[in-house]
Amino acid sequence: MNALFESALITAICASTLRGTTPILLAALGEAYAERSGLLNLGIEGMMVAGAFSSFVVALKMNSLFSGFVFAAAVGLTMGLVFGILTIILGVNQIVVGLGLTIFARSMCSFLHRVIFGNQFPILFGAGGTSEIPLLSQVPVIGQALFNQHWLVYLTFSMVPIMYILMYKTRFGLRVRAVGEAPRAADACGVSVYRTRFYAILLGGLLASLGGAFLALGDLAFFVPDMIMGRGYIAIVVVMLGKWNPVRVCFGGLLFGFALALTSALQVAGIKISPDFILMTPYLVVIVTLVLFARSSNLPSALCIPYQRENR
Amino acid sequence: MTGSIILLAIGKNPLIYFGLLFTRGMGSSLGVIESIIKMIPLLIISSGLLACFSAGLWNIGTDGQFLIGAMLAGWAAPWISNALPYPAYLITIALLGILGGMAWILLPAVLKARYDINEIITTLMMSWVAVNLVTWLVKGPINDLSTVPAQTPLIPSAYRLPMIPFTRIHVGLIIGIATLLGIHWIIRKTTLGYQFRVMLMNKKAAMHAGMSVPHLTVYGLLISGGLAGLAGAGDVLAVKGLFQGNWNPQYGMTAIPLVFLARLNGWAVIPLAFFFSFLAIGGEFVARDLGVPVFFVHVLEGLTLLFFAASEYFEKKWMHR
Repeated sequence: MNALFESALITAICASTLRGTTPILLAALGEAYAERSGLLNLGIEGMMVAGAFSSFVVALKMNSLFSGFVFAAAVGLTMGLVFGILTIILGVNQIVVGLGLTIFARSMCSFLHRVIFGNQFPILFGAGGTSEIPLLSQVPVIGQALFNQHWLVYLTFSMVPIMYILMYKTRFGLRVRAVGEAPRAADACGVSVYRTRFYAILLGGLLASLGGAFLALGDLAFFVPDMIMGRGYIAIVVVMLGKWNPVRVCFGGLLFGFALALTSALQVAGIKISPDFILMTPYLVVIVTLVLFARSSNLPSALCIPYQRENR
Repeated sequence: MTGSIILLAIGKNPLIYFGLLFTRGMGSSLGVIESIIKMIPLLIISSGLLACFSAGLWNIGTDGQFLIGAMLAGWAAPWISNALPYPAYLITIALLGILGGMAWILLPAVLKARYDINEIITTLMMSWVAVNLVTWLVKGPINDLSTVPAQTPLIPSAYRLPMIPFTRIHVGLIIGIATLLGIHWIIRKTTLGYQFRVMLMNKKAAMHAGMSVPHLTVYGLLISGGLAGLAGAGDVLAVKGLFQGNWNPQYGMTAIPLVFLARLNGWAVIPLAFFFSFLAIGGEFVARDLGVPVFFVHVLEGLTLLFFAASEYFEKKWMHR
């Protein structure tokens, strides 16, 4: 009986690790490209909130989860575009734009939520459905955890190797890295710095917004304005932990997902630690891992520095 | 402009909204006083940020340092107030706040100085740790068990910060403006400030000129952390009167962009800080009158930040011609 309970607990922890990792990993994969190209996007938190809210409203009103995701993608691209115009073309300080976008998006969503729903928090029925992969899901203990998940979970994790190849084996990835490391040299070689950075930030916005949408439509099936809870910032941390390498970023994301899963598992298991205390652990984990593994951070040289063609 | 479109979209008259925003926020003495009180923590936090941003150090976790300072003040004030004479008590609490804020940034500062670990990340993480830590402390060890919500005991009004004579504004305003201009002076006129500015321009040059970059890093971050903690202690001592769990005003979200917009100029921080606190206060009043949700003010705040930031570009372009 005890063994049965234990294996069930392990399955539950594995499953919720994957679910918890997905939104962070999605946002982090996009952010890895943005940072590699020289853009620190602190607006990621706002983009996730916007993605969660817009997808939720559209899915609820149109009664279609798919259109919710599509709409969130559009919102994410728009926000990436705004961030890009301000920081790439106008060369405005990225930290200011990022925080500004986050404040704007977060309060805009709270505002619209109040306007549309009043004080109610409707639940979206039918959201969060999983799709089982036949055969593989029958594997004991881990089968149900790994192969009975939301389709976006599969998509996210299968994106990791693709993003890795895109970054290290293709011309586009080379350009992204060049633009973040030595924009002037890249420009001299005929790479459009502006355009490459735009692609990177559009990707970042798209994935961050989808991450938010997953949280609202794939994981929780409802929306509350502060549901993102700093996951956008965690994504930035994960990117730095993973040193801008999608595969390592995936491991960083899993670390966080595991900490989150453990938080709820310990509560369920009835271990008497205050939830506030447990909630501190993921952040402490980051600091400790930074101390242990990321002694030298090797930031992309041009991170946070706007590129202006005319000032040579 | 964009704000008006949003208002029209939900069927409220933007002219009335903005009219009321200004008459409430600036037209009435109550609005002005409230805005000034709200501005005080912004001023103190901004002065700390002025120091570290001028050295190219990004302390993004002021909210955590603020909360630690506030928590310490709320915890210590009730029993220190009986043990010490009033002036000594005030100074002790202020020091506690400063030390709390400094303690909270010490780890990021040392990591940055010794191992060059990115301080944006560590300060941000420490901030989240602080949010959860103070909630936990207030619910448990330092809870005043006689009240239902988790909070520290109320500080009697005799032991709050004194008011500036003939006003209802507490002396924090003087402290805020004094620290701000003091830091401004340090940055512009002293050796330490000069070294900070060299560090901002070119870290390698600073190193080769014989400046100790690790020491400067620690100083810059400690100053900003300490002042954020002081702001927290001040807010508890003057405005709140106690420390509550789940209380996080997130001044940093406003103060950080504000210092950038002021272009690291202490004088420019004052009107900007007033403007943002006026927005917050005016918005709260109008929310009650017109039924426009209070979040709308933060929408405006975010928009203003973005527009101010964008206008900087056009200004620069215009100056180059």
